Amino acid sequence: MSRLVHSFAFRWALAIALWSTLLSLLLFAFVYWQTAAFMQDELAQVLRHKAHYAAREPAKAVNRIETWISEDLHSVHFAGLFGADGSKHAGNLDARPPSLPVDGEVHRIGAQVAIAGRRLNEELWSAAVALNDGSIVVVAHDTDEIDRAKATVIRALGLALVPTLAFSILGGVLLAGRAKRRLASTEAAVARVMRGDLRQRLPVGEAGDEFDRLARDVNGMLAEIERLMEEVRGVGDAVAHDLRTPLTRLRLRLERGRDQARDIKELRQAVDQGLVWIDQTLDMVTAVLRIGEIEHGRRCAAFGPVDLRLVVSEAAELFEPLADEKGIALGIRIEGEESAVRGDRSLIFEAISNLLDNAIKFTPTGGRVEIGLARRDGVPVVSVEDTGPGIPADERNHVFKRFYRAERARQTQGNGLGLGLVAAIAKLHRFPLSVGDSPHGGCRFEMACPEAERHASVTG
Amino acid sequence: MAKLLLIEDDAATAEEILGDLHGRGHEVAWAATGPDGAAAARSGGWNAIILDRMLPGLDGLTLLRDLRGAGDRTPALVLSALGDVDERIRGLRAGGDDYLGKPFVLAELAARIEALLRRPTDVRETVIRVGTLELDLIAGTGRRGQRDLDLLPRELKLLEYLMRRPGQVVTRAMMFEEVWNYRFTPKSNLIDVHLGRLRKKLEAEGEPMLIHNVRGEGFTLSPDV
Repeated sequence: MSRLVHSFAFRWALAIALWSTLLSLLLFAFVYWQTAAFMQDELAQVLRHKAHYAAREPAKAVNRIETWISEDLHSVHFAGLFGADGSKHAGNLDARPPSLPVDGEVHRIGAQVAIAGRRLNEELWSAAVALNDGSIVVVAHDTDEIDRAKATVIRALGLALVPTLAFSILGGVLLAGRAKRRLASTEAAVARVMRGDLRQRLPVGEAGDEFDRLARDVNGMLAEIERLMEEVRGVGDAVAHDLRTPLTRLRLRLERGRDQARDIKELRQAVDQGLVWIDQTLDMVTAVLRIGEIEHGRRCAAFGPVDLRLVVSEAAELFEPLADEKGIALGIRIEGEESAVRGDRSLIFEAISNLLDNAIKFTPTGGRVEIGLARRDGVPVVSVEDTGPGIPADERNHVFKRFYRAERARQTQGNGLGLGLVAAIAKLHRFPLSVGDSPHGGCRFEMACPEAERHASVTG
Repeated sequence: MAKLLLIEDDAATAEEILGDLHGRGHEVAWAATGPDGAAAARSGGWNAIILDRMLPGLDGLTLLRDLRGAGDRTPALVLSALGDVDERIRGLRAGGDDYLGKPFVLAELAARIEALLRRPTDVRETVIRVGTLELDLIAGTGRRGQRDLDLLPRELKLLEYLMRRPGQVVTRAMMFEEVWNYRFTPKSNLIDVHLGRLRKKLEAEGEPMLIHNVRGEGFTLSPDV
């Protein structure tokens, strides 16, 4: 129970119950005030009318006063006709109430009246009107009736207040309980997530309210976390797998070399082959670390202006002999004026080198690789295209992932990290990277390199 | 034969380095901690110092900075498991003459030590001669004996780099850093094809070889006479 009292939902329910009670109180007060005012107005009108009616014809005044008194069954009607000197001519009032102004309006006064031969002090609503001959007619009505009605309303209010409050609180508790049950199922799901089960999702109701929307958002977040964890696990698995293959080969080769080598030359051959495989393994580890390093953006310190034309032509120059040796024509096409982007010159060069290396690797002898620098919508775009087999559309989303090797690339040497490195470098520089079809038949990689914003000149 | 000081905390790594450098005819002393290394370095008489970036007791870069502050200009090579470019810049700023990221190949370390020990004598020379090979840096022309060589600008730079270090083994990474001026490890055969082209131009049919491939290590240019 104490947990319920401390719960957010319960406190809200209680607050709402109190608020609704307060509102019904206000409503009651208004009704009471309106009812009382209405009854008083009604009575006042009657009294005003009777007083004027009695005063209109002095000859009939006594008669009319008697009629008013005789209409009364409950001894609540009072009247009196008094001479100019104050003497009583008729009626059941002993004397003209001294505090009553003679203005024909209704006032609440205290007066002495005679009821069934007894003299009583009563609170009266009364009106006094002067006749032509100077005498004064007073018509009055007991206040008890209205006071009783008022008291009844107040009592009804008092009686109704208790159940109102009780029902409000009951409703609040029921609502709080419902919210609590809903919260409990969410809490349970969160607890399971915290224990490491990332496949858990929060329950989402049908209502589409804020709570549901929040749950949906949290579920979206969980899905993203699950995806990232999946990716991390994937990378870990891929590293382990890709390490195991060369290490197994290495172990076998060394074992065989030790057992079977007939001379030092053969033993050296075995060791040399082993070293080549170790180097491949180390290259992979280094590449994984480098990608991690670049992805964490620790290298922004080396950022400076980079002349893209120079970097592109130097990269082309570096790879030209390699392409030539493989019988591939390496073309370079640089358009537009100078492009000074902000970045790490060495990393941009590395990214372009990896794209070129990739293109040359997958292009068959007699093919063509072309590196270009052109402006599209004012943004310098570096492109590398080839006449290789291309990349199927459904694989394009994956090529920039670490360790992804398209089926066709399985037979080719490489560790599947080259394009991952390109992607990491592009991401660090916020350079959009894309892959599509080349008009020459192979694939076309593009890296858009938005220029650093130049300071507007302040001359003239 | 040079006297070298190795400051490295990992005993296994140190043992391999010591063994390799001994095998190449150097005399190497080993210090395992920062303070020991600093004391050894201060005692002087070294031709070069190899020191790890992270050492117990005293950070390698602090050690180097102190040494340079004391006016010691002994060539120093910084080893580090942190391979990043910024890290390299920090190493060189602290007074390092070269920087090598771990893991490295022993031959790479040996070649770089050799380069530190035999710094090019006079870099202001504008005409370099190695045997019958002659390079005019002002005119941008090269000749072998009576034969003019038709060299591209990059080939000219590559040849200059090799000719300033005749008989010395230079690695692919060293060439890539110095001739192309980019800092990452290129695919191994990239530099080879560049050297292959240069060789074709230098070594016409019947002429003796100038550039030699040192298996597993790198390349060397040796005089033909």
